[in-house]
Amino acid sequence: MIAFDTVTKTYHVKDIKKLILDDVSFAFESGKNIAVMGHNGAGKSTLMRLIAGIELPTSGLVTSDETVSWPLGFVGGFNGLMTGIENVRFVARIYGHDSDRILEDVRQFAELGLSIELPISTYSSGMKARLAFGLSLAINFDCYLIDEITAVGDRRFKLKSKKALTDKIRTARVIMISHAEKTIHNYCDSGVLLHNSKLYYYDDLKSLIKDYQKFC
Amino acid sequence: MGIAKLTWLQIRVIVSLTLRETRMTFGTSHSGYLWAIVQPLVSITFLVFIFYLIGRQAPYGTSLALFFSTAVLTLEMHNKMSVSLMRAFTSNKALLTYPMIRETDTLFARTVLIGSTFVIINIILYGGLIGFGLADLPSNPEHIILAFLSALLFSFGLGTINAILYQRNQSWQHVEKVLARPLFFMSGVFYIPSHMPPEAVMVLKWNPVLHLVEWVREGYYANYTSQILDIPYVLSVGACLSMIGLFFERITRKSRV
Repeated sequence: MIAFDTVTKTYHVKDIKKLILDDVSFAFESGKNIAVMGHNGAGKSTLMRLIAGIELPTSGLVTSDETVSWPLGFVGGFNGLMTGIENVRFVARIYGHDSDRILEDVRQFAELGLSIELPISTYSSGMKARLAFGLSLAINFDCYLIDEITAVGDRRFKLKSKKALTDKIRTARVIMISHAEKTIHNYCDSGVLLHNSKLYYYDDLKSLIKDYQKFC
Repeated sequence: MGIAKLTWLQIRVIVSLTLRETRMTFGTSHSGYLWAIVQPLVSITFLVFIFYLIGRQAPYGTSLALFFSTAVLTLEMHNKMSVSLMRAFTSNKALLTYPMIRETDTLFARTVLIGSTFVIINIILYGGLIGFGLADLPSNPEHIILAFLSALLFSFGLGTINAILYQRNQSWQHVEKVLARPLFFMSGVFYIPSHMPPEAVMVLKWNPVLHLVEWVREGYYANYTSQILDIPYVLSVGACLSMIGLFFERITRKSRV
């Protein structure tokens, strides 16, 4: 379970104060595949970073007893000067996994061929996303955070990714930002709406999408 | 998580980061690492050459090279640390994707990397000087080691404060450059500080790097006695700067990300 206890998050950009979360207490219960919806700029990505533990709340507490991935679709975690292999080994090491095994899995999934030996700065954004996705699948998290999975690669790779993710959520769960109803129906069974700095929980996707269309 | 598990995680993170920093600093080739070793060697050779040209003797002992080495190694390590730590937060933004990595870890990793590089440089340089008959064996090597560790502590503290100031305002790098410039003249590289006029000593003795240099010299030369060296002073400055640095890192963490 990932729990938010009276979490407030504000940003100061120049002199403008932006309130992302206002005193939110909420539990992302284990085993639930949760869709996160909200209008552009509501702070969905910030919410993901709070869940991932890579950003601290302004006040309040975020606790988790699951291993949580970094937000996927976000490839900022790679170092452009290092090769694909070096980046993969680095991440495997900090998560305490056997870097040879992880590398083998990533090689097979990402299908980058010899490019995996080149610096990441030479990759296209699709190649980076493939590497990041493959790496996160290889690490076996309890909870996958997915920020707008924009389909990467060609049709065959899209199908492969879809299948891999579907397989994954038999043993793990996802918390996913998406605007696409179809994607949400494919992977999620419940959802939250981030609206006016508050979180609203929906047991069924129909009423979530209805409210999303009404308010956002 | 238990203490053992947390310790293991911390070690894992710092080791991985140090490997990564090594790769980032020196590139893929071994020649990158070689350059780091050559740099202080060049500074020392240059100083020896100038002193030789103007026909000066070593201010202490018989070896110019040894006299310069005892200061240049300490000073260069300090300069490297100060600049490298200053950029630790800003050049490692990508790492914040991984929740177990805190910004302080990048400071520790850079300290480990520069510290171990300078252990190697020290061994090669003193070993070389001794091998070529340009220096005797150090009389109190344990003092050189203690001085080296204290130098790391002091530079870590100052570097951490630099990192925070630099992140707040990038123009800090220019201020730091201006402030660090006089260190070369104020750290006893080419003179014996105790022989300076009292007015000069009054000013020089505030410079912690000078104390560290004097400490190394007392450790190396059998009869070198410094009237300036104040070990509690340099240790407390190092400890205070480190604590202030880490304290400000902690309280500004939320507003920084």
